[in-house]
Amino acid sequence: MLKVLIPTIMLFPTIWLSSSKWLWTTTTMNSFLIAFISLTWLKWTSDTGWNASNSYMAADPLSTPLLVLTCWLLPLMILASQNHINSEPVNRQRMYITLLASLQTFMIMAFGATKIIMFYIMFEATLIPTLIIITRWGNQAERLNAGTYFLFYTLAGSLPLLVALLLLQQSTGTLSMLVLQYSDPLLLNSWGHKIWWAGCLIAFLVKMPLYGMHLWLPKAHVEAPVAGSMILAAVLLKLGGYGMMRMMVMLDPLSKQLAYPFIILALWGVIMTGLVCLRQTDLKSLIAYSSVGHMGLVAGGILIQTPWGFTGAIILMIAHGLTSSALFCLANTSYERTHSRTMILARGLQMVLPLATVWWFIANLANLALPPLPNLMGELMIITALFNWSPWTIIITGMGTLITANYSLYMFLTSQRGSIPEHITNLSPSHTREHLLMTLHLIPIILLMLKPELMWGWCN
Amino acid sequence: MWRRLFATAPAFRAQKAPCRSFKSSRRSDKDVFEEVEDQFRAFRKKAVKAMPGSDWSPFELTPGLPPERADVVIIGGGVVGWSIAYWIKRKERTRGALRVVVVEKDPTYSQASTVLSCGGIRQQFSLKENILLSLESADFLRNINKHLWVTNEDPVDLQFNHSGYLFLASEKSAHVMEENYSTQRYAGAKVVLLSPSQLKERFPWMNTEGVALASLGLENEGWFDPWSLLNAFRRKALSMGVYQCFGEVTGFRYSTQIAEVAEGDFVDFRRIKCVNVRMPNSLEYQPVECPVVVNAAGANSGKIAAMLGIGLGPEESVSGIPFPVEPRKRFVYVVHCPDGPGLDTPFLIDYSGVYLRREGLGGNYIAGMSPEETEEPDISNLDVDHEFFQEKVWHHLAHRIPAFEKLKVSSAWAGFYDYNTFDQNGILGLHPLVANMYFATGFSGHGLQQSPAVGRAIAELILDRGYKTIDLSAFGIKRIIKKKPILERNIV
Repeated sequence: MLKVLIPTIMLFPTIWLSSSKWLWTTTTMNSFLIAFISLTWLKWTSDTGWNASNSYMAADPLSTPLLVLTCWLLPLMILASQNHINSEPVNRQRMYITLLASLQTFMIMAFGATKIIMFYIMFEATLIPTLIIITRWGNQAERLNAGTYFLFYTLAGSLPLLVALLLLQQSTGTLSMLVLQYSDPLLLNSWGHKIWWAGCLIAFLVKMPLYGMHLWLPKAHVEAPVAGSMILAAVLLKLGGYGMMRMMVMLDPLSKQLAYPFIILALWGVIMTGLVCLRQTDLKSLIAYSSVGHMGLVAGGILIQTPWGFTGAIILMIAHGLTSSALFCLANTSYERTHSRTMILARGLQMVLPLATVWWFIANLANLALPPLPNLMGELMIITALFNWSPWTIIITGMGTLITANYSLYMFLTSQRGSIPEHITNLSPSHTREHLLMTLHLIPIILLMLKPELMWGWCN
Repeated sequence: MWRRLFATAPAFRAQKAPCRSFKSSRRSDKDVFEEVEDQFRAFRKKAVKAMPGSDWSPFELTPGLPPERADVVIIGGGVVGWSIAYWIKRKERTRGALRVVVVEKDPTYSQASTVLSCGGIRQQFSLKENILLSLESADFLRNINKHLWVTNEDPVDLQFNHSGYLFLASEKSAHVMEENYSTQRYAGAKVVLLSPSQLKERFPWMNTEGVALASLGLENEGWFDPWSLLNAFRRKALSMGVYQCFGEVTGFRYSTQIAEVAEGDFVDFRRIKCVNVRMPNSLEYQPVECPVVVNAAGANSGKIAAMLGIGLGPEESVSGIPFPVEPRKRFVYVVHCPDGPGLDTPFLIDYSGVYLRREGLGGNYIAGMSPEETEEPDISNLDVDHEFFQEKVWHHLAHRIPAFEKLKVSSAWAGFYDYNTFDQNGILGLHPLVANMYFATGFSGHGLQQSPAVGRAIAELILDRGYKTIDLSAFGIKRIIKKKPILERNIV
């Protein structure tokens, strides 16, 4: 753990002490190095169920894929931001990369935490760099609104979580995940306990986000610069899913009844956000709403608490992280050239950027869960687990899958196919950096398709 | 020291020794409780302002700034600009899909060509495109309340006088008029040719000496109130969500790609990234980031084009060809003639270049004439040259209509034509050197009457990739670059 965390922390002196000529090169190379080192975590050598441990942090089959995803994403974010940040003064560029690196640090510590309170503190800590990125480097005046929504939705959900954790500490004497997994089931028979149950989960449900509490997400994703959107979509949402998976261990007998409304909300969200996507005119907004839909499925899979549900959830989280981040990068390439996120004005791009169309195609296919990509594996396992829980959910999940395919096709056809408007017939061609970025997003998905055991969680 | 101190203080003995009070604020007569009440009252007043529903904000925002990002920025808030804004909003398939901003320099429209226009509309052109544009516009204007109605607002009244245009041709140009007549009829205009005797029968007040042929528009021709049309478009567009900004475009931020053409020269291709809009009476400007810019700035279009380097390149190259639109001043005189022709007076255009139309019902008429190429008036202001009427216009007018020998000029005004020095027809479409600026200008006096159809054409270019209803590719900028003018064959 420390062999990745210490280099990440040492990225800060690297950023501030590099000369401006070498800043981007050194940070990219160093973060790639960290990413490749983090891949060593995937080799499972432990018998105890926890790997790479020290006194405060450890990785288990649930957190390892998320940790690797986090470490993998930092170089990608730095690659994606190179173009639009270039016009700013050097110290501001350094500040930007510092914020990205600090997000990485907090998230390694969050996913690697063994104490739930440390996870909570890191969960909250990630809000600050993200807020700064959105409100300082976002594009339009609405970013202030977006930052407010983002901050206060999450904070409002997580304050009850703090209280719930303190209560848990009080009653069980420990907040260590290593210990709590073996503790006796708690006696949860009163109304107070039901509220405690809700307190434990609301923060994560808002973060995921669950459909009723999702308003912050389209705003934050649309107004954030590309790296902000990438980190939000790929990893910050998964903090919610991961937290839920950790907390559900302790919440057991209550979850069977209390989870009901949230499962229904999550599934309903899949359909509703899918339908909203079909009417979106802003490309990033479309991708943001599709994130809500996918994470709704993840929430459903976690809340039913079956092994297949958990496995599907974790696979879908990883696959969705990479796919959503890839889509945001593609939307950014279109935005940097045409200065518009409106799909009507930046359509028919296949004629001008044909290679980028290939990436759009693959990313959209991944988004609509095409077999044999891991997106489908995750979705299928969740759908099957939900069907086992109640056969009626197949109607909702089936329709959800249909609508997802619908809007993914709509996104691809509108942005790539059709006749190109005359004012964008001469765009600068795709940079190698952009191709590299997309390769680095999509190769891991394809490789994971070949060896899904790496992200199966506990079901091995 | 003590002595000096006590000596300078006046009447100190009766008072306490001079010392500073503990309060640093001014002494007030109220006691403590009243001051606290005052503070509470001030706080409550401020809190009311900060409640939701009021427009107080902690940041000091300049009112009237355009948004930082827009999808289409239309430079020029005349009738062409607002028509384009309306049509774009009408053609966007999802509501609110596109953010359209119209930037207008002068909120009073004091020098705008739209409101200073005579307001005539005719289909008697020689180019098919011009005829079709006016025909479609006339159809729009006749059904204007179907298109431009706004809930809870009064219906639009354009005061459209359908009196028609009457062109007079001399012996020399009668054949041109006949050819134009067949073009117009083929395109669908309702025009009729009149011989001098038929003319005299129809309009007995006219002196038909020298007239060989006349052509009269029977339908869809006449004049209307330009201000009403402008406001109708503006009201409807604003209700559809178009942003209006009063400010002046002072520059652009653009990116340049340098390409090498076949002959080995280097050409700059520009793509506009932001439009810098400067606030009125201020140095503050807002860069509006946008993918599409429409230049509908009328008489100032040439200035806007020059900001992008069009015309500033080396002489022989494409970038050396300046954008050929410049302002030309034209005078309009309001005359009063008690014995003049009556209600059926059409918009008369004589072969000498003089034009006349009825204004209102009180015996007033509007008259004017295009000056010679060599005698163009000064464009630095909108002052009227009354000598021009006395010397040039009056005797042609009096020759054609004898009653006008006794008239009185009640007033006059001047306005700018967005004059296309190349071929006096509109310029529509993209410029080869600027990737994302659409031009809709250079109409040389026909902008108002063609504005609804032009708005639709530009909206089709932006949203549908090409012209769908009327094919106006002949009006593209290519003809200027290839130096192939398409001229109207007027009978004058």
